[in-house]
Amino acid sequence: MKALMYLTKRSFVNNLKKALHKPITLLLMIFLTAYAIFVVFGIGMLMKELHFDSVQGLVVFVTLWTLYIFLSNFLSYSSRKGVIFRQGHAHFVFTAPISPKLVLLHSAWMNYIISLVISVVFAIMGVTVFGVALWRMFLFFLTGCMLEIVCECSIMVWFYTNEKLSEKAVKVLGWGIKGFLAAITLVIFLYFRREGISLGSASAFFDWPVLQMLPLVGWNISIYRLILLGPTTLNLIGSVLYLVSVAVLVFIVFRMKCDGGYYEEAAKFADDYVEMKKKKNNGEMVTRIGEKRRAFRKVNNAYDAKGAKAIFSRQLLEYKKEKYFIFSKMTVFSLVLAAIMAYTMRESAVDSGVPQFFLLGIIAYMCLVMSGYMGKWEKELQNPYLFLIPDKAYKKLWYATAMEHVKAMLDGTIMCVSIGFAWGVSPVYVVQTILIYTVLQANRLYMRVLAQCLVGNLLGKAGQDIIRVLMQMVILGIGITLAVVIGMLVNINLIFPVTLIYTFVVTVLLGLIASVRFDTMEQLA
Amino acid sequence: MLEIQELSKSYGKTLAVDKVSFFVPDGQVGILLGPNGAGKSTIIKSIAGLLRYKGRIGIQGILAKDLAAKKIFAYVPEIPAMFEALTVREHIEYVRKAYGSSITDEEVETILKRFELEDKQEKLGNELSKGMMQKVSICCALAVKPKVMLLDEPMVGLDPRAIKELKEVVLELRNSGVTVLISTHMLEMVEDLWDVMFVMEKGQIIGSYQKSEVGEKDLDALFFEMTGGERA
Repeated sequence: MKALMYLTKRSFVNNLKKALHKPITLLLMIFLTAYAIFVVFGIGMLMKELHFDSVQGLVVFVTLWTLYIFLSNFLSYSSRKGVIFRQGHAHFVFTAPISPKLVLLHSAWMNYIISLVISVVFAIMGVTVFGVALWRMFLFFLTGCMLEIVCECSIMVWFYTNEKLSEKAVKVLGWGIKGFLAAITLVIFLYFRREGISLGSASAFFDWPVLQMLPLVGWNISIYRLILLGPTTLNLIGSVLYLVSVAVLVFIVFRMKCDGGYYEEAAKFADDYVEMKKKKNNGEMVTRIGEKRRAFRKVNNAYDAKGAKAIFSRQLLEYKKEKYFIFSKMTVFSLVLAAIMAYTMRESAVDSGVPQFFLLGIIAYMCLVMSGYMGKWEKELQNPYLFLIPDKAYKKLWYATAMEHVKAMLDGTIMCVSIGFAWGVSPVYVVQTILIYTVLQANRLYMRVLAQCLVGNLLGKAGQDIIRVLMQMVILGIGITLAVVIGMLVNINLIFPVTLIYTFVVTVLLGLIASVRFDTMEQLA
Repeated sequence: MLEIQELSKSYGKTLAVDKVSFFVPDGQVGILLGPNGAGKSTIIKSIAGLLRYKGRIGIQGILAKDLAAKKIFAYVPEIPAMFEALTVREHIEYVRKAYGSSITDEEVETILKRFELEDKQEKLGNELSKGMMQKVSICCALAVKPKVMLLDEPMVGLDPRAIKELKEVVLELRNSGVTVLISTHMLEMVEDLWDVMFVMEKGQIIGSYQKSEVGEKDLDALFFEMTGGERA
């Protein structure tokens, strides 16, 4: 334990020292903290607006939170993916003479911090927003950051060290929990759609006794209800059952033998985690840790492109080998988002009489939302062969990103056609919006390259993203203002073509500037 | 001593190691050889306690998964992985605490000096090159003061001076009674070190030699004689 404490302490101190030497990291931390406070404050305001600012409101909130978070944690521990292990663990910790149970308990420190922070947030909001008595929130806090952590640890150790649990049983359990969560989400959605969102309807739903009868998670809800609302027969029984369950769990896991069998999954997790981080940094869309190795199709392809065009040909070949060609998770995401937007905003868009502008707004918003997603092309910049190809830099940039433009057009078509059809937008506007979306996505690509050139590694990836978003917002802001002014002064129908022409010209210029990045592997800054 | 008895390991339906048994006595250097995919890494990881397996692995007569066995066992993996926010010196300090090692500050200084790390002690894990990481990994293993030491491709990434130093260290360990097992493809690098060799193919040990039995024959010749391949 002494060694593990030393490891954590020194890592923390060294990271802090590093942060102090890099003011941008500190600024980012301050910004994120301020943003978190703003979000919490915003939730508080929303609760007041919806008249949820009472003990009953907090009960609703806590019940929802417990249901989803408790079961999600259960799910991640059952698949042995709930604790973050690093590759250094496999090298220096798993091989050391330290009890595997202790290694597990210690490695989950991040989970405890998160639980602690959430308990603090709940406690503060309980007193300030929901008007709960201080002593009740103190008890709530103790339950959240002590009893619940003990329960979570026991479940974690049980799943990680249980060598008798078969892979099949874990899978069945996982699907069971996922099914339950999906079903409860559907029930909640249908219920509130019928009854409307109000404290009365929410309380009526979450007072449903069956929820408190669910083993462990329901009993956990009972103990919170006991603290917040006072005793009832049901929550008293639930609370006792929860306390007994936690005590039994602790006893069981204390007695369980563990010789470190879980190190096999933990070491694999550490490798997968590094892989996932790498993919994320490359701007790829990652939905889970430890994605299965992809199977590729066999393709017979004549590969006769020369110069920079070879980059495009190679990408095309790679996509042909993919199971779904250029269709990706992003395509599905676009489709789902389009369906949600088309459904939820239909009334406002159609009633306004100018649904095309709503569509344009959604498209612009999408370009900002998906700012982290970059696609396959960025890998090109890490490949030294790109820089060795004897061709002009701007050609390399064009051919390296051409496929991304095709993909952006495809995603844009899916979104714009679906929403346009649902809202009755004229096909002329739909086509123009698709083109604007494609150009905006290209603009985002080139702006990112430019941000890399300008700030390099000086501000890190987050700094690059902030610079990029700021630059993009300024340039697009000018364009939108220009389009609106021309639209109002000359003809409103000109807003679309002016936006399209302006973004196109700006994007081409940006592309030419950004092509410098394709000239040499070394970054400018 | 290191004893492997009937060791088997499967990944799903694929049998990677099939009932492998071998023994490296106290104060001897064992070499584990074999082509890619023969199962060497699986054996190494099993000994290091990073995999589940069937069979028995003993370190000085104690089951390898016992904490008592781990306390006298050191491991140098093929790909070293440092803690990013720990300095070189802190890695060694961690090892000292984790193993309750009796190594003194002077001995640590000596090890670091031998591997030219004395001026890199304050460098963080994420500031090290692959070769330096390998050196730190070796120093950490030595800081354990082990009775059994396992090295997986230890020469990869090392500069010629470090390779020379490592060879000397292995011989010193052998002379002080430590059991060493090295898995490698670089036959010429371990030519002067080995006492016993094991050749693996398709998850099984296909043969073994004692140095005392083979006379003047070099490792290369012995390996290709057993695997049926041709010398380069």
